[in-house]
Amino acid sequence: MKDRPCAALRARLAWAGWPRRWPALVTWALLLVLALVGLGADFAFGQVTLVATYAIAGLGVVIIVGQAGQIVLGQGALVALGAYAQALLVQAGLPALLALPLAGAVGAVGGVLASLPAGRLGGLYFGMSTLAFALIVEEALVRWESLTHGAAGMVVAGFGVAGWRADTPLAQAVVSIAVLLAVLALCARLLRSRIGLAWRAVREDETAAAACGIAPAAAKLRAFVVGGSLSALAGGLYAHWIGFISPEQFGLVFSFELLMLAFIGGARQLSGALWGALVVVAIPQAIAVLRDALPGDWARSAGLELVLFGAVIVGVVLFRPQGLASGSRD
Amino acid sequence: MLSLLQVLSSGIAIGCVYGLVALSFVLIYKATETVSFMQGDLLMLGGFAGLALHLAAGWPLAFAALGAVAAVALLGAGLERLALRRAIGQPHLVAVLLTFGLGMMLRGAVASVPAAAQDMYRLPFATDTIALGPLVLAASHLWVVCATVVLMLLLAAFFHRTRAGLALRACSEDARVAALMGVPVARMHTLAWALGAGLAAVAGLLLAPITFVHLNMGFIALKAFPAAVLGGLTSLPGALAGGIFLGVAEALAGLLLPEGTKDVVPYVLLMTALLLFPQGLAGGRPGLGGR
Repeated sequence: MKDRPCAALRARLAWAGWPRRWPALVTWALLLVLALVGLGADFAFGQVTLVATYAIAGLGVVIIVGQAGQIVLGQGALVALGAYAQALLVQAGLPALLALPLAGAVGAVGGVLASLPAGRLGGLYFGMSTLAFALIVEEALVRWESLTHGAAGMVVAGFGVAGWRADTPLAQAVVSIAVLLAVLALCARLLRSRIGLAWRAVREDETAAAACGIAPAAAKLRAFVVGGSLSALAGGLYAHWIGFISPEQFGLVFSFELLMLAFIGGARQLSGALWGALVVVAIPQAIAVLRDALPGDWARSAGLELVLFGAVIVGVVLFRPQGLASGSRD
Repeated sequence: MLSLLQVLSSGIAIGCVYGLVALSFVLIYKATETVSFMQGDLLMLGGFAGLALHLAAGWPLAFAALGAVAAVALLGAGLERLALRRAIGQPHLVAVLLTFGLGMMLRGAVASVPAAAQDMYRLPFATDTIALGPLVLAASHLWVVCATVVLMLLLAAFFHRTRAGLALRACSEDARVAALMGVPVARMHTLAWALGAGLAAVAGLLLAPITFVHLNMGFIALKAFPAAVLGGLTSLPGALAGGIFLGVAEALAGLLLPEGTKDVVPYVLLMTALLLFPQGLAGGRPGLGGR
């Protein structure tokens, strides 16, 4: 009788895939320890916060690109919507914890608006309509000065819950990891449900999925709703961590960073978002180190950074193509 | 009325540039199923190459322009051989990321030339005007329209009168069948990229007198996507028509709508068009163009 709760717990853990996952968890713990020792605690926790926040935003892309097999070119705008929604709601006096789900909801609406025009066509048209949506949002954020202060940007208050403020790097890391884990668990559940099954069916073969009674258009729309709200949620957190948001932070390059994140990590698994986030956060810093190591004035030019960043993208695509979601075509 | 005509003429001119970039995008997309995100960077490179040959190397303007287009076309062919052909048959995401990365490298390479990064340049005939009675038109606008018309005639002749053009069209229709008929499909892909890159460079040279030649001039290529979509994404004449339509719509919006809405008009049109006319404005007629 005594070991019954324990058996139940073990069964639950097994159901959650615990035995399979422990190597990954050990790897992540080791990485964290290495970062703490190598980089100093504050910097390391800052990086952990950034990786976790990027991973949440990247999960949105993983859902849309990797699970539902669609293409999205303007995910940065959904992050921007979340960040601005969060900033404005907190400014209006709403508690940050209450504002976060609302920011996510704004992202869900954004996802619907961005994908709706291409709903019947799918494929590349999703790329086109999300790109157009992103460019419209960016312009609106710059132009609607009475609300967003335009290109000058907005200052965002720190994250706090009922008197407690997350103002140390450790606290911020803890909050982002907690949100990330919650979101991962939610997504894992979603992927096991009928909705996730429908996404994979649509990704593999839309006609066959439709013949099995799945409505492809509805499945795609759900992917954009979930993906949009995840990215906007990350935007809401990001606004607090950075403390200052402006439209240019969420431009086209950011959208492509998120795409690259999903590509590098492998969009078929949710954990791909984590690995991708780690790489995407590390790249600019690696480039900065490399640039300082190079001799001469030439290395100081802004052009070199662009060349190196572009080279990383090209190299990743050419030499590690198996990380990608091979079902994301049309 | 007069100001309306002037706005229209500048709208048509800028629309021709959008149309040419959209044309280059559609040409590559049709022939190789590759989504190119680097047309804007090729356009910028074309502008700078022409400028460098004219100002730095001292070539006459016409030769400099031809040299620049040839150089960028060669670059396009070379990139296809080296990297871009790996994206064929892969998901769109691969090509999108690959071309975006290559475009970034091109932009970075130009930016690390100090003379290019610091100044804006204009070509010599930029400020000429032509008076037709009371109507004063910018010479550069007329020049763009004329060049586009000539280019279209050349392209039409290429696609309908030459073997290579026929092979390229066959390749776009169905690469497998084309290969079975003895068309060297891989060479046609290289040709498509050379043509696409060359067209983007032409667009850059035509744009040079209207705006300046500067590092960010490639952003104009973002408006080629709405133009291509309005044209149905697979139709070459459609892409050009879509571009001109966008240019005029944008110019009229600048005249009638409040400040700042002008830049959003192409993207709003894109989303509306997808919603209402999913086959493109020229689409829906069976047996003409299309897939």
